[in-house]
Amino acid sequence: MPVPAKLLPAQLFNRCDPGEFAFSTTADLDGSTGIAGQERALDAIRLGMGIRRDGFNLFALGPSGTGKETTVLQFLNAIAPKEARPDDWCYVYNFDKPRSPKALRLPPGQACRLSDDMDHLVESLFGVMPAAFSSEEYQSREKEIGEALQEKQSSAIESIEHDAQEHEITLIRTPGGFAFAPIHEGKVIAPDVYMQMKQEERDKIEKETNRLRDSLQSIMAQFPKWQRETADKIKELNREVSAFALKPLMDEIRARYKGIESVLNYFGEVERDMVENFSQFLEKESPDESPFGMMPPPFSPAGRKRSVVRYRVNVMIDNSKLDGAPVILEDKPASLNLVGDIEHAAQMGTLITDFTLIKPGALHRANGGYLILDARRLLLEPFAWEALKKALRTRQIRIESLAQLYSLVSTISLEPEPIPLDVKVVLLGERRLYYLLSSYDPDFNELFKIAADFENDMERNAETHLAYARLVGSIAKRDKLLPFERSAVARIVEHGSRMAGDATRLTTNLQAIRDLAHEAEYHAAQSGRAQVSAADVEAMLEAQRYRASRIQERMRDAMMRGAILIDTSSEQVGQINGLSVYSLGEESFGTPSRITARVRLGKGEVIDIEREVEMGGPIHSKGVMILSGFLGSRYAADEPLSLSATLVFEQSYGGIEGDSASSTELYALLSAISGIPIRQWLAVTGSVNQHGQVQAIGGVNEKIEGFFDLCHERGLDGRHGVLIPASNVRHLMLRKDIVEAVEAGQFSIWPVTHIDEGIEILTGVPAGAMDENGKWPEGTVNAKVFERLKAMAEKQKSFGKKQGDEPEK
Amino acid sequence: MTHRIIHSIAVAIDCSPHSKASLEAAAEMAVRLKAELIGIFVEDIDLLHMAGLPFAEEIRLYSATTGKLDTAQLERLLRLQAQQASEMLRLSAESRTLHHTFRVLRGMVPEQLMLAAPEADMLVLGRSGRSPSCRKGLGSTARAALEGTMNVMLMRPGVTAAEGPLLVLCDGSEASKRALRTALEIAGPKSTLNLLVTDPAPDAVERCKEETNSLLNGRAIEVEYYHLPFTEGKQLATFIKMIDSGLLVIGEGMNLPAETLRELIDNIDYPVLMVRGEKL
Repeated sequence: MPVPAKLLPAQLFNRCDPGEFAFSTTADLDGSTGIAGQERALDAIRLGMGIRRDGFNLFALGPSGTGKETTVLQFLNAIAPKEARPDDWCYVYNFDKPRSPKALRLPPGQACRLSDDMDHLVESLFGVMPAAFSSEEYQSREKEIGEALQEKQSSAIESIEHDAQEHEITLIRTPGGFAFAPIHEGKVIAPDVYMQMKQEERDKIEKETNRLRDSLQSIMAQFPKWQRETADKIKELNREVSAFALKPLMDEIRARYKGIESVLNYFGEVERDMVENFSQFLEKESPDESPFGMMPPPFSPAGRKRSVVRYRVNVMIDNSKLDGAPVILEDKPASLNLVGDIEHAAQMGTLITDFTLIKPGALHRANGGYLILDARRLLLEPFAWEALKKALRTRQIRIESLAQLYSLVSTISLEPEPIPLDVKVVLLGERRLYYLLSSYDPDFNELFKIAADFENDMERNAETHLAYARLVGSIAKRDKLLPFERSAVARIVEHGSRMAGDATRLTTNLQAIRDLAHEAEYHAAQSGRAQVSAADVEAMLEAQRYRASRIQERMRDAMMRGAILIDTSSEQVGQINGLSVYSLGEESFGTPSRITARVRLGKGEVIDIEREVEMGGPIHSKGVMILSGFLGSRYAADEPLSLSATLVFEQSYGGIEGDSASSTELYALLSAISGIPIRQWLAVTGSVNQHGQVQAIGGVNEKIEGFFDLCHERGLDGRHGVLIPASNVRHLMLRKDIVEAVEAGQFSIWPVTHIDEGIEILTGVPAGAMDENGKWPEGTVNAKVFERLKAMAEKQKSFGKKQGDEPEK
Repeated sequence: MTHRIIHSIAVAIDCSPHSKASLEAAAEMAVRLKAELIGIFVEDIDLLHMAGLPFAEEIRLYSATTGKLDTAQLERLLRLQAQQASEMLRLSAESRTLHHTFRVLRGMVPEQLMLAAPEADMLVLGRSGRSPSCRKGLGSTARAALEGTMNVMLMRPGVTAAEGPLLVLCDGSEASKRALRTALEIAGPKSTLNLLVTDPAPDAVERCKEETNSLLNGRAIEVEYYHLPFTEGKQLATFIKMIDSGLLVIGEGMNLPAETLRELIDNIDYPVLMVRGEKL
């Protein structure tokens, strides 16, 4: 098999030509930015927002920084103004059930007007009512009713008095009531005189007295009834007077809300209540009248009775200034912020509330439009997710006090009438959250039927290059940054490719691009330049690398000092330089690791020491097991594989996962079996299958850079290089210094498709191809491996035979 | 003013609404005239006699039920009322820094009052007191007082004798002049003096003006004159009501018929002060 050619410098880095941009600097662009590379997500958003049916809410999923929020907002802000403006909502006092405030729906902009009108009405009544009740007509009518009762009672008693007088008996007022007593010459007969009277006379007097007493009793029994009747008459008079005073004001306010049935019904209730409770308008409450004179009433305007608070209108939603449907982004989606809250005020140590303390939530504000929430924040807020689901499921916003619901406080609370809900909710979150919710929450798929999956990266072409340029331009314009030269934009595009880990694609992590643009502009400004150049971008990338390279450098230092054994100059049997990637937070870097293989006579197993000590992950173990398959099928198809091999990542103290070193391990194994040394100035990465084909791996750029840095520090001599899977060539976006080293012939990168190619580069000995007789060419790596394995099999066989010949003990 | 007519004011207190109004009026008047206030409470002997009768029963006002009433119980209640009356007087007088005395008498109420009141220059009492029917007309004590020989002011609840308008009936008689002099003494600087001339003579008002001006002697009191040559009490009462006169001051022995005056006093809604001649 021919050895593949080294990669050319041009294959190591997909350059973005600044010349393809028509602009000179981003200042030439209009500052607008489009949504690029997210067609799939946009289609989903369009569908989700278009279907006005229950459950067609949207979950925008994708890694953070991919512009989910920006995309959704941009889309909604474009469609919302074309939609109808939703109605206003307010809460008013419920005169039948004070604990259940009524929700009133009004055309947009009318709720505040209603609130002002009601305040004005109450204010007017404090003038109108006292005037009506202090009029001479009312006063004399009231007096007349009172005197009529007085007269009725007086004449009833008078008639008894006359009756008594006819029988020489008088009616006397006692401290507690009335009593009858016989008189003589205008004076009550003294007891001693009475006792001297004849028995018949005494009996007569007593009889008369008893009769009069009974008559008076029966008259007095009617007094409460008469008083009730009088009170009713006065009540009726008050009702007439207050209704008459109120009518013109009510007529005026009614005329303003003609056609709004719910409001007119409310006015009817208000009118009835005001007539019944007219006295509250007759005088202002002075501080002395209050039992707590020092404390001003908490919810009423100064000097007003608290009872008139019930005529106020609590405007929940005022859409007067809204243009189309609302688009609400709730940054803190706590349950209270979503569905609203009933606040309480502390008064004299107790908590009190009324309907004016009902506060709207994001669902109220977004009702009739769109609500955008961050899924992670939503799920972190206690009860918020359940509250949102309940609102969406029941299609109404029911405000409930959490403290009340969970019996944390026990005080008088309210049960406001629920408000009908018509809203599209957009949740933004990571894919993991979407899949978790989808798997474990049975309601989720019912309520969020549309998923807008945002891409991690996008195709790299002229169009997306321009999209990047526009993005940088819009950032510069919005954040008032220096303009970016087109070369700087090109460098950012190249970095976008590097972030995507693919020379043919660009990352959609626009947040990272935005951050890079800010850093580069800062560097340019610090250097006193008027425009951001490619050098500024490069400097900032270098600075980023430097900031993140502490551990990388420490490891390299250890290698330089020999604490970590990495050989880059000799040739060794059963020893090879593998490449691995360390991921620390958002940063990752590559570094070489020594992999060694030892073989001995055995039962055909390849022992992965990492797995034996439980430091290797399942994928790594799988890769090692594939090696057994490869060895057995290739070299010992007809005979048992009689070796026992051990493979280890030397000086590895953390766990190892992934199969990107499986080809490397195979090379080490082949070297160990064949006894042919491997060139230590080379490093290898790539996974292998049972046929010996080398497969793509991740982090190819970081791996190459990790080995290059070590070799560079030790001094490049033209022999150093890395073997990578040929399928990874399209992912190469290497650093400039590596490209230059390759250009200068100081460093090489080979694209390998098969183990035979790699082993030849690594050993300098041809791999050899099997002939039609199943023989390997003499002197090749494969022939040596075959021979060694065959020898081991025979030895095993003879060893087994010898054991079998021994007499049993 | 050369000499004062009223140095002491007696007020009958029986804890009824009328007597409360009387006490307030008397106290206000006493402040204005710098007079002494004498409170009189009479334990009604009729009541005590009634309680001593074997069949004495009280019909309670607020339940219309009956209950036995004995003398000891009644005595206790009367003592309690007397204490209340004394307390009312004390509070009213002390708040105005008035010199005051309080007396408790026992006997027939009108008699006892008539016996005790002459010590004072004026008696103030309620129009109807605690009479059972609380009629609009005068009570027995008020009638007795009007038939007595001293200055009497009759009060009713709801109106006051505070510094306000006064109305004097003028018919050119000596009695009406006495009434005018008394009215000028009790009038405050802000009072309006209404003079209702009942003398049918055409120059009666002019004469009245001259007399009044001479009595005013430069005092700045607003005076209004009305000429109403009627002799019927009800008509007079209606007119007085129309002009919202305030305290009505009448001199005993005026040319107006006694019947007219009685009718007027019966029908008037304002306090009435009857001025006698003997003590002046």
